[in-house]
Amino acid sequence: MSLRTVRWVGVVLGFLGVALTILFHWQVFFWVPTEASMGIVQRIFYIHLPAAWVGFFAFGIVALCSAVYLWLGEEKLDHAARAAAEGGMIFTTIVLTSGPLWARLAWGTWWTWEPRLTLTLLLWFIYLGYFLVRSSTDNLDRGRKFAAVVGVVGALNIPLIHMSVYWFRSLHPQPVVARVDGPQLHPDMATTVFTALGAWTLVFLSLFLFRYAAARLEAYADRVEAARLDPSRTPTPEGAIVP
Amino acid sequence: MKEYFGQIWAIAAKDLRVELRTRERVAAMGAFVVLTAILFNYAVDRTVVHPRELAAGMIWIVISLAGLLGLGRTFELEKEDGALDGLLVAPVPRDALYLGKVLANSVLLVAVTALTVAVFALFFQVRLPGNPLPLAGVLLTGTVGFVALGTLFSGITAGTRMGDTLLPILLFPLLVPLITFGAAATADLLAGLPPAESAYSLRILAAFTLVALTAGVGLFRFIVED
Repeated sequence: MSLRTVRWVGVVLGFLGVALTILFHWQVFFWVPTEASMGIVQRIFYIHLPAAWVGFFAFGIVALCSAVYLWLGEEKLDHAARAAAEGGMIFTTIVLTSGPLWARLAWGTWWTWEPRLTLTLLLWFIYLGYFLVRSSTDNLDRGRKFAAVVGVVGALNIPLIHMSVYWFRSLHPQPVVARVDGPQLHPDMATTVFTALGAWTLVFLSLFLFRYAAARLEAYADRVEAARLDPSRTPTPEGAIVP
Repeated sequence: MKEYFGQIWAIAAKDLRVELRTRERVAAMGAFVVLTAILFNYAVDRTVVHPRELAAGMIWIVISLAGLLGLGRTFELEKEDGALDGLLVAPVPRDALYLGKVLANSVLLVAVTALTVAVFALFFQVRLPGNPLPLAGVLLTGTVGFVALGTLFSGITAGTRMGDTLLPILLFPLLVPLITFGAAATADLLAGLPPAESAYSLRILAAFTLVALTAGVGLFRFIVED
């Protein structure tokens, strides 16, 4: 896929994502029925849960792209991993802000050692390390390898971290949407949560494509600069698709 | 196969010989353990809780921090006078180099772990179980897992500008399973519960160690090549 196509797909997905985001906010504030036991505050759910799903999805992409990058050494895969990691940080940050706000009103405390909340916090730190390793390495190529190793090792450990955090007793409600016997929700609530999930998946994919395209252009600019300083080197054929 | 183990041993023996002659890391970690235990004594209000009741968790925290202190130095020495380049041109596979480093670091950290338990037993009247084998098994498995992950990451941090300061940020989020199940098993064994109660925790610790070693063997070559 040429960079031009990538950007166009990014624009289209972004517009759709923003439109759906506006729609689901209307649903959350004006349309969906208020939950019986928790009241108004339960509406945070429609922001909290989709953000968590999208964040985990993003970190899945990071792990996959990092592993294949180490395997094949294809620079594009590292661009993709980094773009996904940035998106993942944004959405886990949303989870980590909306979670405590909700917990304060629903459970009477800002923080509990609730398994999924704890796992999200740990993921946030694992990927903080992912960015720190990259930015504090002088050699660009080594920084990429370091970051990819951190991404893969982090992902390998997630099942064990998951088991550990679940070992502590859970205050968190059991899954209500992702169940084998179908969502256990009022249909309007299910509609809202799926609208929100769709909206943020699109927003994430759009951000992901833009960041990916930007990373490719940066790499191209670096090569042009290197070719200017050393005329024996030429920028790769990617120059053809850059305006 | 025999050659491979010979290579691992050669790397480990080199590191241990350096340590035996300088005694830098062991001295630093050992002093750290004793001094932390002393500070811990003053950090706890004995009228509220006896330090012994917190011992299992504290032992693991102290091992992690002392290990951090020692692991950070794994590749520092190799950076001097291009020693690492010498190692890399040696006809030794990268994973043997990694396993050799893990072996040497494990020997050091196991010694420090033993010292930690002894210090807690001495200072805080922690009663060691009659049969020390299950406790030793839990501590050994956990320590090797810690070293396996820490050696891989110290290879990364040695190549960054931030150096050792970055190591806890990379390492600590992944230590949750180790601390959770290590401390739980240690607490049960120190409380005199039958070892069968800790079998589950020991299995998870073993899984953690296995994952860490596999990741290290598979990924180490990406962080040292130049």
